[in-house]
Amino acid sequence: MSASNRPGAARPAVLVYRDVKKRFGDFQALGGISMEVHKGEVVCLIGPSGSGKSTALRCTNGLEALSGGEILFDGVPLPQDEPRMRPVRQRMGMVFQNFELFPHKTAIENVAIGPVTVLKMSAADARRRAASLLDKVGLASKAGNYPANLSGGQQQRVAIARALAMEPEVMLFDEPTSALDPETIGEVLNVMKALAEEGMTMVVVTHEMTFARRVADWVVVFDHGLIVEQGPPGQIFDAPTTERTRNFLSHLGWNG
Amino acid sequence: MTYDWSVIWQYRALLLEGAAVTVLLTVLTMAVAIPGGILLAVLRLSNSRILSGTAASFVEFFRNLPIILVVYWAFYVMPVLTGLEFSAFTTGLIALSLNVSAYNSETFRAGINSIRKGQTEAAIALGMSRTQAMREIILPQAWRRVLPVLASTWVSLFKDTSLVSVIAVGELAHAAMTVRSQTFRVLEVLTAMAAIYWLLGYPQAKLVDWIRLKFKVAE
Repeated sequence: MSASNRPGAARPAVLVYRDVKKRFGDFQALGGISMEVHKGEVVCLIGPSGSGKSTALRCTNGLEALSGGEILFDGVPLPQDEPRMRPVRQRMGMVFQNFELFPHKTAIENVAIGPVTVLKMSAADARRRAASLLDKVGLASKAGNYPANLSGGQQQRVAIARALAMEPEVMLFDEPTSALDPETIGEVLNVMKALAEEGMTMVVVTHEMTFARRVADWVVVFDHGLIVEQGPPGQIFDAPTTERTRNFLSHLGWNG
Repeated sequence: MTYDWSVIWQYRALLLEGAAVTVLLTVLTMAVAIPGGILLAVLRLSNSRILSGTAASFVEFFRNLPIILVVYWAFYVMPVLTGLEFSAFTTGLIALSLNVSAYNSETFRAGINSIRKGQTEAAIALGMSRTQAMREIILPQAWRRVLPVLASTWVSLFKDTSLVSVIAVGELAHAAMTVRSQTFRVLEVLTAMAAIYWLLGYPQAKLVDWIRLKFKVAE
């Protein structure tokens, strides 16, 4: 990976993964991965199911503790204890595969709860922020709806707004469209694309190869807990340098 | 055989007072056993082995003893062990509360565990502490699932309060037995006792059915 084909390389690294390992009992989920995410970049993590890409993402905000190596956030190693991890997490937004909206709260309450509970913002200010974020994801009219009365795509857009409400420096997306009906995938990807265009730093675990091809600045291919190849989308999708990347893409029916 | 139903009317004050004590005992027991159950459930789910072990032992101990044994124990043994003497009513309340707290804690624990892990993770990912996640996200959801079970426990408890009659707490069963021993009108007294329990219990059971419908979880 030379700096020349990575436009973001000139900007500071927001996340640096150094030989990160994660073990679940006897299972080696991550066997030592190293990669970087630079400010303003969209980095897509792709690879077969169980290849470790989601685990890498979950290690990033401490939902999983590392078994080895380190992750630097803004140049500082992530603390591995709960209390010191908490303020760091507030600076990272996370979007889950199953949305995980809070079902007992309306859309706007879901978005406002972070600022109210964690940042101790006043209810009125948090609601104002939440309303403008719902507007941004195109759901101003659904502010009073409970998650049960929203489509999957709408729920995921609320979940994105909820993460943005903490004004994070990085957004982590864990297969954000995998649980969606095909017809609602587009609306979520469009929101993500708009976010990318605003310059948000994003790490996206995805099976949406078209999105990765078009939006990513950098693509990282995982297999069996290791990174088998990383590079700009042009390289990964049009001229993959490893057999395993070629295999993975051909299994998906990707033909450029 | 001739029946003499007039004894019921004659002893109405005693029976009504007994019914009132039954209701009061049910309400007070639940008032203790709901916070008690939450406390035990949270302790049991805590990361400290000492706390969770102590709570688990408490729950498994009282959940698996017949209530009547706990009632006798509270009456005869507790004063000896603790040096504290309570009225029969308070003793009965303590015995029932120990048993129902243990039951409720299992109910709350199941309710908390039924909320999927992703909900806690979503709260944690926002930067909440585990306590905030429990208070803001998990308990409010668990509550809806727990309420129908608590309502059923309530109805069982209402009937189980009759067990404290063995230590002469003047609730409905004890009042009825007093009337029986004074009048020897067994059939009439037992029939009246059944009628009062049923008339008080049936609306509660219907209320439980309504709560079940109302709080059916929709996701």
